[in-house]
Amino acid sequence: MSVETLNALPAPVPVGRAGVLRRLMRDKVAAVAAVALTLIALAAVFAPLIAPYDPYFTDLTKVMQPPGEQHWFGTDNTGRDILSRVIYGTRNTLMLGLVGVLIGGMLGGVLGILAAFYPRLDGWIMRLVDVMLAFPAILIGLAVAAIFGAGLTAVVIALVVATVPDVARVARGAAVGVMGQEFMEAGRAVGVSDSTLIWRYLTLNCISTIFVFLTLRFGQIILIGSALGFLGMGAQPPTAELGMMAAQGRDFLFMAPHIATIPSLAIFVIVLAANLLGDALRDVLDPRLQQ
Amino acid sequence: MIKAFVSAAFALALAGTASAQTLNMMKGIDAPHYDAQRTTWGPTSDIVNMFQDTLVALDWDGKTPIPYLAKSWTVSPDGKLYTFKLRDDVSFCSGKKFTAEDVAYTFKRLKSPEIKGPYAWRAGTIKDVRAADPYTVEYELSEPFSELLLLLTMFTNVILNKDNVEALGRDYGIKGADGTGPWCLDSWQPRTHITLKRHDAYKWGPSMYQNKGPVKFEKLVIKIVPEDSSRVAAMLGSQFDTTHQFPSQFIAQAKAAPTLTVQEAKPNFQLLYFGFKTTRPMVADKRVREAMSVAIDRAAIAKSILLGNADPAFTIVDPAALDHDPKTAGIVTQDAERAKRLLDEAGWKPGADGIREKDGVKLAPRVYYTANANSARVAEAIQGYLRKVGVDWKLQPWDSTIAPVKMAEQDYEIWSVTVPYLSAGDLMNIYFDSANIPTPNRMNWKDAETDQWLKQGRSALTPEERARYYAMVQQKVMREHLWMPVLNINMHTVSNKKLKNYRPHMIYQNTFYKGLDASF
Repeated sequence: MSVETLNALPAPVPVGRAGVLRRLMRDKVAAVAAVALTLIALAAVFAPLIAPYDPYFTDLTKVMQPPGEQHWFGTDNTGRDILSRVIYGTRNTLMLGLVGVLIGGMLGGVLGILAAFYPRLDGWIMRLVDVMLAFPAILIGLAVAAIFGAGLTAVVIALVVATVPDVARVARGAAVGVMGQEFMEAGRAVGVSDSTLIWRYLTLNCISTIFVFLTLRFGQIILIGSALGFLGMGAQPPTAELGMMAAQGRDFLFMAPHIATIPSLAIFVIVLAANLLGDALRDVLDPRLQQ
Repeated sequence: MIKAFVSAAFALALAGTASAQTLNMMKGIDAPHYDAQRTTWGPTSDIVNMFQDTLVALDWDGKTPIPYLAKSWTVSPDGKLYTFKLRDDVSFCSGKKFTAEDVAYTFKRLKSPEIKGPYAWRAGTIKDVRAADPYTVEYELSEPFSELLLLLTMFTNVILNKDNVEALGRDYGIKGADGTGPWCLDSWQPRTHITLKRHDAYKWGPSMYQNKGPVKFEKLVIKIVPEDSSRVAAMLGSQFDTTHQFPSQFIAQAKAAPTLTVQEAKPNFQLLYFGFKTTRPMVADKRVREAMSVAIDRAAIAKSILLGNADPAFTIVDPAALDHDPKTAGIVTQDAERAKRLLDEAGWKPGADGIREKDGVKLAPRVYYTANANSARVAEAIQGYLRKVGVDWKLQPWDSTIAPVKMAEQDYEIWSVTVPYLSAGDLMNIYFDSANIPTPNRMNWKDAETDQWLKQGRSALTPEERARYYAMVQQKVMREHLWMPVLNINMHTVSNKKLKNYRPHMIYQNTFYKGLDASF
């Protein structure tokens, strides 16, 4: 994104927290997505209180039971209660998405802002970002898992690597725009230190742009995390993780389709809700769309 | 118009004839090369058995060596000199006549340090292999090897064309390989397909087949289809004639399909086991190893996890295999309460979360295995059983490309492998001899008695003597619970019903073996 384009933008319209919430709730789709995500997050947080069974308890006399009274979502190929595993799996899947987005967002944001503030670093950082963009997240996940072994660490590394370059570019774009503002020049003129300029003036003015981008990115990150889980690179048994649960059910599609479809539906709902909410948040927070 | 119709009908008839002369096979994994002497790799072995032959073949019972390239043999009273009389009507695909020189060259190459043949031990401790005349081979050993004939049936002992190997050098098995088998290696596109063509001169099929040759198809095309469900769909859709790598969880669908036939290789020795690294503190105590072994319900795992496509294994050597010791039958039984008592006695007490602890360390051994469907599902089921007695298995699957390297390391407690074998000696000599530490003796089992008995079994002069020593080894390693035998995995062949007279063999997962009788 060029400096000229950003300079041509109108000044941001301040939006208070109450205003954001009020406008979000006015959008019915966004409201439904927000409620769904909140309920999912609550279920994930309070999983031990909500799950009807121990998600790790196997019973080979009750394998592949269809959804019924005793087990609402049925049982898997080792006789574990799928509802309980979906609840726990949601917790792990959301955690992966959050960690990936937060760490990746932080690293990407720092890189982007430093690139904008120090022109001599710009070329180096952006080439690094280009290199990172050249590797698909799935490939990185596979490579990390092949070297260090499959597990949540491999997935987190892949998700962070997948998040950093995009965030770095967005952050740099936003920061370049802010760098052109008069208050930055004024700050330099009166001898404000680099660290203060970077944090108080640059970062705080870019943070809403980065935040909006990360909310949009959250759904994609969950999808990549689930895909890695599906490929066996993520959580290992008995840990419940939605992608891995879907993969385990794949072998029994003819006999017990519920084992694969229920965790897949859970992924679908989470990603859809996250995307819808991200879209709505962008609409509310993006000054261009407010015009 | 009529002319066009006749032409089209003629073309269709031709196409029908061509496809009828091609057998289309499918498998899940390709091999890195097709030089049998340089590998232990199963995916090499099945193809090698199609285009190369051994001195002796293995009969359907899985125990009896029968004449093949060697039409007869004698053994000296001291068991050290085998004299093989070779067939004089055998030729390689290249047209070169097969002679005793090729046999002598083959075994010298197998034992040469450059080759580092991992299964060279299966040819015995060779002193010399020489051609007494063009059709007589003197195979001299430094010490007797009672299972030599049985193990000469294995793919690592196929006879090579000396000229062909020397001409191809390092590219042997990659750019080509000559053989005397019923099929000739025609082309290989790695990880895509292998094409073999009929060996027209072949007429020396072993007595186990009705058809002595040549085979009834012009071509054999083997496609590599790694994805399980793709292989299932392809067989259900009649795109292929046969596969010996059909996922076990879909066998019921194959049996129900009107176009398919499912056959099981019998007998079949293919053990899925979990081994304990005895030098790791967590599993150094044999009571801990026994506790894990008796805590699981093998029959339920076979029925529910492998959907009946496996049999529970309570002994490391299958009761039907050569030199199985019946006295090992009661050593492992299912008893979860005994498992708890053993763990208590060993000092592992249940912690707050139900997982046992000792000196502040949780009983949570790391378990390595190759990430294929059977091992993964069985490991998960065992993990469930063991949690109930307070053991928390930490599962660590590895991709098949990296698993052998990882399993050669020392920083884990337990691993799993599915191993095909022919006899007690075949299985135990490679896994329990201290000379094979750290791999394949991953237990790091160093025991003078075991080594001595294995050696005495190998060099026994009578079957009875051999069985006695191998029984002693079985007793020892089972009472030490070095392995946790779990399942004997069934070996299925799924074929289109139009394929007739195809009987699956059990040899080293090579159900097709020579495929001499198969026809449409």
